[in-house]
Amino acid sequence: MIRPPSSADTVVPGDGTSAPVIDAEGHFHATDAPIDFSHYLLEDWLALAFFWLLGLNVFYQFFTRYVLNDSAAWTEEIARYLLIATVFVGIAPAVRRTRHIHVDFVYRLIPARAGRAMSTLVDIGRVVFFAVATGLTVEMMTRMGNYKMTVIDLPVNIVYGVCALGFLAAAIRSVQTGVENWRRGFSLLERPEHAIEETV
Amino acid sequence: MTGALLISFLALMMTGIPVAIAMAGASLVYILLSGASPPMVVVHRMISGIDSFPLLAVPFFILAGNLMNNAGITNRIYNFALALVGWMKGGLGHVNIIGSVIFAGMSGTAIADAAGLGTIEIKAMRDHGYAKEFAVGVTAASATLGPIIPPSLPFVIYGMVANVSIGQLFLAGIVPGLVMTVLMMLTVAYFAHKNGWGADIKFVWSRLLKAILELGIVIGVPLAVWGAATLGANPVVATIGAVVLLFAADWKFKFEAVLPIMTPVLLIGGMTTGLFTPTEGAVAAVIWALFLGLVWYRTLTLRMLAKVSMETIETTATVLFIVAAASIFGWLLTATRVTDMVSAWVLSFTHSPWVFLLLVNLLLLFVGCFLEPTAAILIAVPVLMPVVTQLGIDPVHFGLVVVLNLMIGLLHPPMGMVLFVLARVANMSLERTTMAIVPWLVPLIGSLLLITYIPAISLWLPRLWYH
Repeated sequence: MIRPPSSADTVVPGDGTSAPVIDAEGHFHATDAPIDFSHYLLEDWLALAFFWLLGLNVFYQFFTRYVLNDSAAWTEEIARYLLIATVFVGIAPAVRRTRHIHVDFVYRLIPARAGRAMSTLVDIGRVVFFAVATGLTVEMMTRMGNYKMTVIDLPVNIVYGVCALGFLAAAIRSVQTGVENWRRGFSLLERPEHAIEETV
Repeated sequence: MTGALLISFLALMMTGIPVAIAMAGASLVYILLSGASPPMVVVHRMISGIDSFPLLAVPFFILAGNLMNNAGITNRIYNFALALVGWMKGGLGHVNIIGSVIFAGMSGTAIADAAGLGTIEIKAMRDHGYAKEFAVGVTAASATLGPIIPPSLPFVIYGMVANVSIGQLFLAGIVPGLVMTVLMMLTVAYFAHKNGWGADIKFVWSRLLKAILELGIVIGVPLAVWGAATLGANPVVATIGAVVLLFAADWKFKFEAVLPIMTPVLLIGGMTTGLFTPTEGAVAAVIWALFLGLVWYRTLTLRMLAKVSMETIETTATVLFIVAAASIFGWLLTATRVTDMVSAWVLSFTHSPWVFLLLVNLLLLFVGCFLEPTAAILIAVPVLMPVVTQLGIDPVHFGLVVVLNLMIGLLHPPMGMVLFVLARVANMSLERTTMAIVPWLVPLIGSLLLITYIPAISLWLPRLWYH
């Protein structure tokens, strides 16, 4: 993934910035970047919970298959559902940070005012899409009724409910991002370098 | 009407809306207008599009790579690279490339390299008096190795879309990765010769020999296990024995980087021998990385684990959101026969695989400039695949061509995405960054031509192994 540097970077040169990365004996000294959890919100932690459950589940499956030579059938189904939950809940934080994969080269070719208009349309379109997706998922859930999962005796609507929640969170975050872009007068589509300047 | 779907998607994507929304949104509008299916089919298809066990490999490949991206392991790998090639003329240029090769082998997405590791590499080279241009050029060029040398997220996605064995794709990436490494190191040597550069660290026999010994262990262990297995030993027992011996030796001799570099060896060894599926291989790599970080080297804290997980979730969610959207979009493209039309159109003017590959090179270099590689694969490969099959091109070879093209596209002037990132990271103007990268297009395009037109470079190893 090519991304601008961000809080994502776990390693930074040297301790601080001035000390050389390589010392006189030819040994390398990178240090871990400070960790800051303050910009993670509710949906980040929810996605993290699903992801770690997924990890535990898959490790358990790995263990049963290689050590006990007998993998439980439910682990595979649960793993797939937890992956779905992680992804659909994880959409919202990426909306908030404008980290979804997008194409922004057009903005370098058109005048600033046209860019402003187009990025405003994008902000609106994003809200509309996630709102419609939430509605469609809820509609699908009402059609599904009491359908059960394949192996486990639980309603499949639990999974779809989490997806609906994820879409709803993404819709809300899209509104917030849109409002913020409107207030400050530009979005990251118009000024991609802004994301880097904030962190470098 | 059939073309409307494709055109509305492209138009939406160009506005800068997330690619996944452009796909799903265009599909939704098409379904609403045509009235062929109920609109909720869009979300149903999206959700079931990632309801797949093989896709579980994606988050765990990403996690394994991220777990290795901490200072403790980074320092070990660069110390190893310094010992191995730092004494050569233009030493840090070579170190940069070897470092990228090793990180490529641990991470599926290594071009975070360009931004993350890139800042460290550029700083180290600046400390030693290298021109910014050279530091930026070699960092950008070597970052393309990430997805070629296995494991590789783009190969996992390609394998899924094109229905090709991921194990074969991983094996196919090894020799091309080495070819690229050699061509890039020759470029460094050329610059060093032209500018009269010296070495960056003192040449010490003992340090070099230790690095060579470590390299020998990394190559020797899998060969020994394979040898023991062919002589009739139980492969699982042989592997466990080898791992125990390895940790004992590491404890005794304090190796610099043998254990981290073993990650891809275990993973690819496990996958190609059929011991692991790709998903299990990814999980095994995560277990290995966690063990090294939390228990063996103790460089990983729980806070770092939480942060690395957040990073992994972000990458997973953004990539799989596109996979989800591509499943409804691809379904409609096939249903409306757009893919058939495209292949009929291409075949109407060429039946030569070589001409077709040349056109693919040009097309994907262009696409790669402004579209992230996994997104580009999900869009382009389903459309191109029928032609590939018709012309009898090996899909494994084609995968290599596609991924390498997209990687080079990322840094190709005038508008590759990495150019902009690096210009910021190095605090240089876009013009200077472009000029810094231009010389590196020689080894990169050279590798691309070799890999495109000599299929044996990619196919030799997988054929040797699987036949």
